[in-house]
Amino acid sequence: MIQCKTSKEISGMGHSMKRKEDVRFLHGKGHYIDDLKLPGMLYMDITRSPYAYAKIISIDITEAMKVPGVVAVVTGKDLEKYNLHWMPTLMSDTQMVLPTDKVMYQAQEVAAVIATSRYAARDGREAVKVEYEVMKPVMDPYKSMNADAPILRTDKPGKKDNHIWHWEAGDKAKTDKVFNDAEVVVKQDMYIPRIHVASIETCGCVADYDKVNNHLTMYMTTQAPHAIRTVIALVAGHVGLTEEKIRVVSADIGGGFGGKVPVYPGYVIAIAVSFLTGKPVKWIEDRSENLQADSFARDYHIHAEMAGTKNGKIQATRFKVLADHGYTDAAANPSKFPLGLFSIATGSYNYNASYMEADAVYTNKPPGGVAYRCSFRVTEAVHAIERITDRFAFEVGKDPAQLRMDNFIKKEEFPWKSPTGWEYDSGDYHAGLRKAMEAIGYDELRKEQVEKRKKGELMGIGISTFTEVVGAGPSKDFDILGIKMFDSAEIRVHPTGKALARFGTKSQGQGHETTYAQIIAEVLGIPAANIQIEEGDTDTAPYGLGTYASRSTPTAGAAAAVAARKLVDKARKIAAYLLEVSENDLDWEPGKFSVKGAPEKSKTIQEIVFAAYTNHPQGMQAGFEATHYYDPPNLTFPSGAYICVVDIDKETGGIHVRRFVAIDDCGHIINPMIVQGQVHGGLTQGIAPAMYEELIYDEDGNMLNGTLMDYLVPTAVESPKWETGHVVTPSPHHPIGAKGVGESPTVGSPPAIVNAIVDALSPYGIKHMDIPVTPFKVWKALKEKGVV
Amino acid sequence: MTTSITKTFEVDFPIEQTWANLSNPEKVVVCVPGASLTEKVDENNYKGEVELKFGPVKAKYAGLINFLERDAVAHRMQLKGTGTDSKGKGGAEMKMEGKLNQKGTGTEVNITMEVSITGMLAQFGSRMINDVTNQVFNQFVNNFKNQLKGKEVNNQLSAGSLVGGVVKGIFGK
Repeated sequence: MIQCKTSKEISGMGHSMKRKEDVRFLHGKGHYIDDLKLPGMLYMDITRSPYAYAKIISIDITEAMKVPGVVAVVTGKDLEKYNLHWMPTLMSDTQMVLPTDKVMYQAQEVAAVIATSRYAARDGREAVKVEYEVMKPVMDPYKSMNADAPILRTDKPGKKDNHIWHWEAGDKAKTDKVFNDAEVVVKQDMYIPRIHVASIETCGCVADYDKVNNHLTMYMTTQAPHAIRTVIALVAGHVGLTEEKIRVVSADIGGGFGGKVPVYPGYVIAIAVSFLTGKPVKWIEDRSENLQADSFARDYHIHAEMAGTKNGKIQATRFKVLADHGYTDAAANPSKFPLGLFSIATGSYNYNASYMEADAVYTNKPPGGVAYRCSFRVTEAVHAIERITDRFAFEVGKDPAQLRMDNFIKKEEFPWKSPTGWEYDSGDYHAGLRKAMEAIGYDELRKEQVEKRKKGELMGIGISTFTEVVGAGPSKDFDILGIKMFDSAEIRVHPTGKALARFGTKSQGQGHETTYAQIIAEVLGIPAANIQIEEGDTDTAPYGLGTYASRSTPTAGAAAAVAARKLVDKARKIAAYLLEVSENDLDWEPGKFSVKGAPEKSKTIQEIVFAAYTNHPQGMQAGFEATHYYDPPNLTFPSGAYICVVDIDKETGGIHVRRFVAIDDCGHIINPMIVQGQVHGGLTQGIAPAMYEELIYDEDGNMLNGTLMDYLVPTAVESPKWETGHVVTPSPHHPIGAKGVGESPTVGSPPAIVNAIVDALSPYGIKHMDIPVTPFKVWKALKEKGVV
Repeated sequence: MTTSITKTFEVDFPIEQTWANLSNPEKVVVCVPGASLTEKVDENNYKGEVELKFGPVKAKYAGLINFLERDAVAHRMQLKGTGTDSKGKGGAEMKMEGKLNQKGTGTEVNITMEVSITGMLAQFGSRMINDVTNQVFNQFVNNFKNQLKGKEVNNQLSAGSLVGGVVKGIFGK
């Protein structure tokens, strides 16, 4: 049961306040990028390469320029004149804006057509004649490492192979020794395929350059407006666009999930065209462009190993990863973490030896590696540890729930130093799994399974007990392009006691306008309904690194609480002055200071704020404002215990998710209704890769499912009934004890589903299934085993 | 992406007559629905066009048709067509191998068609490519037979029947 410290009227933390932003969304009054129309605006469309790997022999724009309405066609050669044909990626690799000599993946941008209408631009893009010399692409990351593989990045002087980076974590010697001496070792190869965030709104922008004032306003779909402003200044500073002349505005966003963190070539071309023409330029992707060319997620080939004792004690883990980054490393990770936070793969278990290594390679696929609703590769890590843990439990003949209970880090062992160096802040893994087992009726389900197996029916129960790592991050380790990953809040309380608060983050549906107001209401006692939240305009919001990787509550949420506390300190001084007592003689409850022993003598926060403008003490600054840039001392470590029950049709391979229980620990909960919504959405985005989604390429580099007809995004029809619950272990270092929840369900649910499916199939000797586990794959596996 | 189909059928015409049609570029190419010859480069090389339609996506490939083999003794021919779409949707390649065998008074025709497609059509049509190729092939066989009988060849890509055939192909499985 969630305890609320504030009244419903104030609606601080713990209240299921209805989302403030939903009023405009439900009235159709949201303002998305494609709603924006500026006078004289031009439209841009992009000619893309049909080939995955080809030399560009020539680009003929003659016919395109004849299309009525087309005003310009921009190619790589045009951008080269301004040195804008290449740009840096967030991982300090380089990416083409428009190519000058060769294309590296299917659907890569080749030319941009600018026209007075969207239709003319589309007609124009088809009229651009590009002559290619097609080359055989490298689609397999293993083959990419072969000595005879063609070197893809010929633009990099001296590059002799397709290798990008090598990365290691943990203690190799110590881990190898444990493995050598171990009674039981299990090994499993697994592939986490390339998937797409497939947000409902695609990416787009309106670049509006004002020649007279040398000022650029960039309206765009971005999760990190300030970082983008700095990137634009770094890329275009040499043509006179310096940072004070750039304003980035991120309006309402129809889903981001990490896919709206990177800078795509379309944005840069639009800026360049607006800069050259002095007119606003709109670019909006269509669905297929979004699926084919925008940053992917995952694409990790993982070899996982676990060592332990015959009676089921986990002793060590080893992981080897091959990361397929496409033609450039355009991942959105903090600089020091090329493999993201994958080293959380040691999991929720008490052992002290682990070693992991990874290599990244180039292929002829689109660039990327975004943290799709996953704080930097944690989905891959959790899949690896939770699958190998189940393999180990099966090998030693232990119930997977019992094996987990026996190996969990205990509540009193926090803070826990992991074998790869993380300091887990808090958790109660036993309580979480117990609660999930009770909710789902674990013991009865196991009995039912025994009966079903006697009848030859396939039923499986799968568990995932994961530890997340979010809230990036402490400045000593975390930066993006050198900018430390703090975040910010600025609160202004007006004389009448109503507030405006601005943040460096940017909601894409997370409900910040409500939850941030509730955090401030909790601390300050001003009703959340009277606190207006603004984000996404770099001219007004304080600098921040944006919203992704479940970092908003851990960073900006903390900043809001600390800034509000600064205001409570000021309020105390004013209250003491107004009530003519010493500060120490005052009692505070959210919204009111009263005199100790004389509670009838009190001042409300609204009275105090009014006095801050009308009757403030001499020597004190007038006004009631506070700003805070929060640099978290550690990351936060949410956790979860998920159990899934599946029934499988032997004849068709059809998988029915009968039940799914998710018990999450995200620390103190700000708004239970919003958390539940986040969990529901996240779980649905968890069954997606587990059972449906995968970007498929053939050996010629064709992406074979470039529409939502073929790329299967689960809908309400495919979603089972989600049963949710909570365990609360507050983060000890976070000002309000919150941990973040947006990503836990996406990260934690795929292995629960796969473990359930493999559990169902295990009587036939099936030990592993790669995701997405489709009915066809199940049917094939059963057929191979002679079951059907 | 590549798909390959082999079919064997019989015609009631002598092998030499059948060979005359199969080995004549102007006769055999027009049996491929949507295909036409636009220019003769030399004895073995022609310029031509092929139109293909996959559901909502239409592509017109302009390119070269090259006769790799025409063996009048073994009654075997091979041709290769390569082209690119005029609107940048990608490229296509078709290899066709034909072999004739005498069968009584008639002829057994053995044909293999291998179609590979790159670009937008491969993305949109990946689920349909086998069915579409099949339909194209069936239409080719009909045209080839009709041509031998001296009937008019319908070279139009019968889009309606193609879509119908594809739908049947998908749902009829």
